[in-house]
Amino acid sequence: MTTKELIENLNLKPLSKFDHREIKGVFVSDMLSDVMAGAKSGDIWVTVQTHKSVIPAANLVDVSAVIITSNKQVPQDTIELASKHSIALLWTELPTFEFVGKLYALGLMTT
Amino acid sequence: MKIKNIKDILDAEVIVGDDKLDIDVKHIYASDLMSDVLAFGEPNSILLTGLASQQAIISAHMAEFDGVVLIRGKKTKDGSEKFARDKQIVLLSTQLDMYDACVRIGLADNKQIILNSEKLAFPVKNNIILSHEFSVDGNDFTNAGMASTEVKAVLKKIGLDPVLIRRVAISTYESEMNVVMHAKRGTVKLSVTPKFIQVIIEDVGKGIPDIKMAMQEGYTTATEEMRAMGFGSGMGLPNIKKNSDELDLSSEVGKGTCLRLKFFI
Amino acid sequence: MPECQHQWEMTHIEFGFLVFEKCSQPYSLRTYFSTKGHPVIGEKYRDGNSDWTVMENAQSFLFDLKCKRCEHKEDFRKIMGFMHCTGCLPDCEVEIMQKRFELQKKWIVVAFGFLPKKEQDSIPIEKLRILEDYFNQRRDTSRSTIAVLSYDLIEDFSRCKGDFIHDVGMLSLEPPGEKKSPF
Repeated sequence: MTTKELIENLNLKPLSKFDHREIKGVFVSDMLSDVMAGAKSGDIWVTVQTHKSVIPAANLVDVSAVIITSNKQVPQDTIELASKHSIALLWTELPTFEFVGKLYALGLMTT
Repeated sequence: MKIKNIKDILDAEVIVGDDKLDIDVKHIYASDLMSDVLAFGEPNSILLTGLASQQAIISAHMAEFDGVVLIRGKKTKDGSEKFARDKQIVLLSTQLDMYDACVRIGLADNKQIILNSEKLAFPVKNNIILSHEFSVDGNDFTNAGMASTEVKAVLKKIGLDPVLIRRVAISTYESEMNVVMHAKRGTVKLSVTPKFIQVIIEDVGKGIPDIKMAMQEGYTTATEEMRAMGFGSGMGLPNIKKNSDELDLSSEVGKGTCLRLKFFI
Repeated sequence: MPECQHQWEMTHIEFGFLVFEKCSQPYSLRTYFSTKGHPVIGEKYRDGNSDWTVMENAQSFLFDLKCKRCEHKEDFRKIMGFMHCTGCLPDCEVEIMQKRFELQKKWIVVAFGFLPKKEQDSIPIEKLRILEDYFNQRRDTSRSTIAVLSYDLIEDFSRCKGDFIHDVGMLSLEPPGEKKSPF
């Protein structure tokens, strides 16, 4: 599945400018340290964290997208940094637990 | 769902709260951000988190959660256990990561996730992702069939193939009827794994003296009364065999019977 | 025997807390990693002739790298963490390199050792190269690459406003606001 299909299937709101990519898996965490230690390249990263340091972490791990859940307000500097790095920053109003259910129903697996 | 169910589904270790596993929880909250837990968490919930720190327990306590599950095999090292004990918060730890933990609970809760039955791609390995247990009372013909109705409903909600569901439902119903007709009481245990559905029907009762005979079509030990109700045609076990992929029947006279059925997905 | 082209993965991961402490007179910063409980931010204590204040407490982790092919291990226990340069000082070496590398779609992170930094605490170039290899092996480098710089390039930590890539404020019961530099 590509980020384009994910956005369409789950009605996600794209916040940044980016190129679409193939999604390899999924990693759910709000802890940058957990993401750095555990997420894999191509994963979509599901989190409620909106601080801009999410972007360098996402970049280091090479995620295919960062999905902000729970109807959060995402600061402009986070969006800009994401666009600068061409990282897909997507948004949903669903809380993490419910959103995971939707990802699973699409057939997404952890790597 | 009960905390015990969550513990089983997540293969979790109980760190604190062995005596509180029977508590029924209403909501699941997955987060590592404690300010969110306080702002949006609801009482009577379980917190799934990777934050292995006393603050997670404190936040759960303030938000009136019943328990905390630490994911990714995390453990606390800062006096959290004592705090959890004092405040009566159940503390569990699972090796699963957040995604798998949420998926397993969501599936088991079966209101959360509706699957497209063609895309049954489970992220977990050959483990039980969903399990339910129902009790059956012997000689209770009024409620006979309730367990199999529930089993059918569970399988329907997770979107399995209708033909498969029908086979499981029929087999479970026939087994349940055998318990009602011939035993004192029994249980129907349903387990769903990525590869197969397992139904174990175990009872306490007179047992089956001759299994070979019992498997024969037309052979029945049903009473006149039962036959008058339309049961006991002797097709039960043969029918179960026909509808299941694997069948294992063991019995001890005077003790009871155990029937294990497997249906490959 | 041909040298192994190492394929790196993280190993021996230990989660814990990164504590930042500051002494005002004279100005000094120190950091350490702890797996046990954690000091409270703002907590003050006396050590010898100096008064120290706990400035920051971050959820972080230590790691080593291991080659998937030949099992060769490289120790990275002296790496405190990684920092993202926010370009706060235009004349800082890090920011100068960042601006230059951006044009080549090379994104930088600054590897930090623990503080206070002594002469012998420079991060060896080979370690920086291995870290770079590790990050670049996990991505499609035709899109962008990672360059790992050393904290040696930062002249004055007290003026640095970079963002550390670790978890700050996770233990706070207040909603996350602006991150303050731990320096």
